[in-house]
Amino acid sequence: MNEQTNTTTVWMCDKCQKALMSQKVKVRYLEGNFEVELLKCPECNMVFIGEDLALGKILEVEKSLEDK
Amino acid sequence: MDLDKLLDISNQCIHSEPPTCVASCPVHMDVIAFVSEIEKGDFAKAYKVMENKIPFSRLIGKICDHPCERVCVRENCGGSIRISELEKSVIDLGYMPPKKPLLMPKTKGTVAVIGGGLSGCVTAVELDKKGYKVTIYEKTDRLGGSLWAHEGLEASLIEEELSTIEKKGISVVYTTEVTEQTLQTYLQQYDALYLGTSEWSKHYTIHPQTLQVDDSALFVGGKLQTQNPSVIFSASSGKRAAVSIDRYITKTSMSASREREGVFETKLEFKTDNVTPVESVEKTSAYYAENEAIQEAKRCLKCQCTECIKACVHMQRFNITPDSYIRSINHNERIVLGTRSANLMINSCTECGLCKEVCPIGIGMKEIIHATRQSMVERKKMPLSAHDFALKDMQFSNSDAFSLIRKQPSKEASKNLFYYPVIAFSAYARGLYKGSSKTGYLFYPGCQLSSTHTEYIGDIYKHLVGAIKNKDADNDVGLYLGCCGAPADWAGRLDLMPESIEKIHKTWQEMDEPTFILACSSCAATFEKYLPMIKTISLWEVFDTYGLPEVDIKKGKRELCIHDACATRHNSKLHQSVRHIVKTLGYTIQELEYSKEKAKCCGYGGLVSNANPEQAEDFVKDRIEESEHDVLVYCAMCKDALVKGSKRAYHLLDIIYGNEVNQDEPQKMPTLSERQNNRKRLKYKLLKEIWNEEESDMSPSYNFTLHLCDEIVALMEKRFILLSDVEKVVEHSLTHKERFFNPQTSDYLARLRVQNVTFWVKYEEQGSDITVKDVYSHRMEVVED
Repeated sequence: MNEQTNTTTVWMCDKCQKALMSQKVKVRYLEGNFEVELLKCPECNMVFIGEDLALGKILEVEKSLEDK
Repeated sequence: MDLDKLLDISNQCIHSEPPTCVASCPVHMDVIAFVSEIEKGDFAKAYKVMENKIPFSRLIGKICDHPCERVCVRENCGGSIRISELEKSVIDLGYMPPKKPLLMPKTKGTVAVIGGGLSGCVTAVELDKKGYKVTIYEKTDRLGGSLWAHEGLEASLIEEELSTIEKKGISVVYTTEVTEQTLQTYLQQYDALYLGTSEWSKHYTIHPQTLQVDDSALFVGGKLQTQNPSVIFSASSGKRAAVSIDRYITKTSMSASREREGVFETKLEFKTDNVTPVESVEKTSAYYAENEAIQEAKRCLKCQCTECIKACVHMQRFNITPDSYIRSINHNERIVLGTRSANLMINSCTECGLCKEVCPIGIGMKEIIHATRQSMVERKKMPLSAHDFALKDMQFSNSDAFSLIRKQPSKEASKNLFYYPVIAFSAYARGLYKGSSKTGYLFYPGCQLSSTHTEYIGDIYKHLVGAIKNKDADNDVGLYLGCCGAPADWAGRLDLMPESIEKIHKTWQEMDEPTFILACSSCAATFEKYLPMIKTISLWEVFDTYGLPEVDIKKGKRELCIHDACATRHNSKLHQSVRHIVKTLGYTIQELEYSKEKAKCCGYGGLVSNANPEQAEDFVKDRIEESEHDVLVYCAMCKDALVKGSKRAYHLLDIIYGNEVNQDEPQKMPTLSERQNNRKRLKYKLLKEIWNEEESDMSPSYNFTLHLCDEIVALMEKRFILLSDVEKVVEHSLTHKERFFNPQTSDYLARLRVQNVTFWVKYEEQGSDITVKDVYSHRMEVVED
């Protein structure tokens, strides 16, 4: 499961054939708006979210926003 | 939500009511904590518990007349707990000399205590603790009064204990007798006066609660007030007088919150029906030895009302009782900024109503939690993820994919059936032949039975037409597929109820008010609550009245335990019908401890399996541990939950249609995706077979074939991801090439936002074969720009 660390990954954008880069990305849920560093395609801006992130930190933030 | 009214209910909960021993102890020694420490072998802590409530506990503990033992509920189960013997033993084994007292400034006022007996000493010490300058006037040359007459107390011990009084800074004036004549002088000299002598020349009228004489600064306690020789009553009156004197001097209410001072009646009625008698432990020396005391302490029943907790795994998981539960709800509701930490708990109740059934005073959390959920929804504070999947599934059931309303096929449309031998052998054909075009009954199987027991629905419908028309030619039987709205009700979504309810009501009116035949217990509860004008009958009662489907039944010989559906707990007619059918089919019934009105929920109720799957698993586990036998249910969701918990369970329809076979084969319930598909398929099939209507298949078709191994299917179930979601993600990624590629594994990873959820699918692509390797989702929206 070492496909994604915070800054690098072997995954690349299939359409643009570009390596992903860590950049500030806007995310939002309910009343919450944040800017976080995420991996994205520098060309088409498609953002990569791995399983660990989705079921880890993101889920945690979702739950805490829901209970606010 | 009326939170104050709610808190009133919380105050009625008797979980925190003290046991009779504590209520009958004038100083309320915490007997449960006391024996619990002894049980643990911690005699020093047990002594602390004593010391906390009993003044001069080293003395009183040895001579207390223990009114607690006379009311101990253990009395008829081997004898009362010997609390007084335990106290003696604890003094012997756990006494620790007190730390040197901190001398605090005594500035709150001055009090004279007349009489240095036990009650006077107690009052003096209590007032000293509160910050008063106290002077004791004693007519003899020593404190202690009648304590010296007790055989069980050594003189050295009395001296040692009472010597602490002067060490605290309390003044003692010895050999000074105060009389009625000189009393006034003392009253003028001090802020208040406590009279604790054993005799007095004048009879005063003493207020029973405050021990005050009229509105004066004179307070009377001890034997003069208690009128009995009990040391513990004497000590109690000393303590209470100290409270009154403090309130008198500080000019606070003399009577507020004092209802339970001294001996009071507890609301707790602890039942000993299931208690095994155990004889008291006999001491082998003057006091209980350590081990003897531990054994005796273990006999204590620790009386507390835990009826609801015993019956409910939800309360067990959150380690909570109605009183504290309501306080948590109150806090959760009032919070303005901060985390609503009770949300998960509130969404983990199945709203089954069992707590109310077992509660000695009838407190039920179902209605309270339901109102709380509605309030959370109204205030937009209901966690979205808790019920989102179930509500979308409800939307699906009420969409054209499943929803269907049809009258019984007309005579005209069915005429191709009316020839020999069909008409002779098919009750269904004869039923159609008698068609009156007046819909007297409307069969409403419900969404979940249709999802999981799809194959039975058409047969049941045909049977109903045949059986009902045979006895009641005037009334046709129609069919209505849809969802009653139970998920919205559970989720507190009043705003979504009309979607189901109004449609049902309108149909009922348009069809000239037919009786609904319900096969689902949750539908029955929803109809009762939201559509009370509609007459309903359970499918099981119809079967019992009009006859069972004629199938080749091999009579069952086994014993089955019946798991009643919690939503039908008060429907005794239904319970009877179900049991009658089971017996008719040749089975014997094992009644579970929690059955009929005390039925336990399978964990589906209240959408708990959506909001807190682990809690739902607790319910299943708790239920299946009740019996070794296979389970018989009559609610589709109960079967689903129990089978998932690896218990062999049969729906009543399984035994009616002779499908309680292949007992070695593992049982399997349809997945969430299959359930939706089954509903779609059922509508399609019924329209075609019964109404001869052909509907075009609305399912989208894709140019790829998905391959999902069992692990992935299980993962999708756990994560509430539907096959249709996975298909949409893959289709989108193939069409738009929006996907990531891993050059090391050659896997693709694609995402698609469907309504309010982003689904991710990792897959391998080989031509048109797509093998799914992982699925997950999140609700957080990523802005890609």
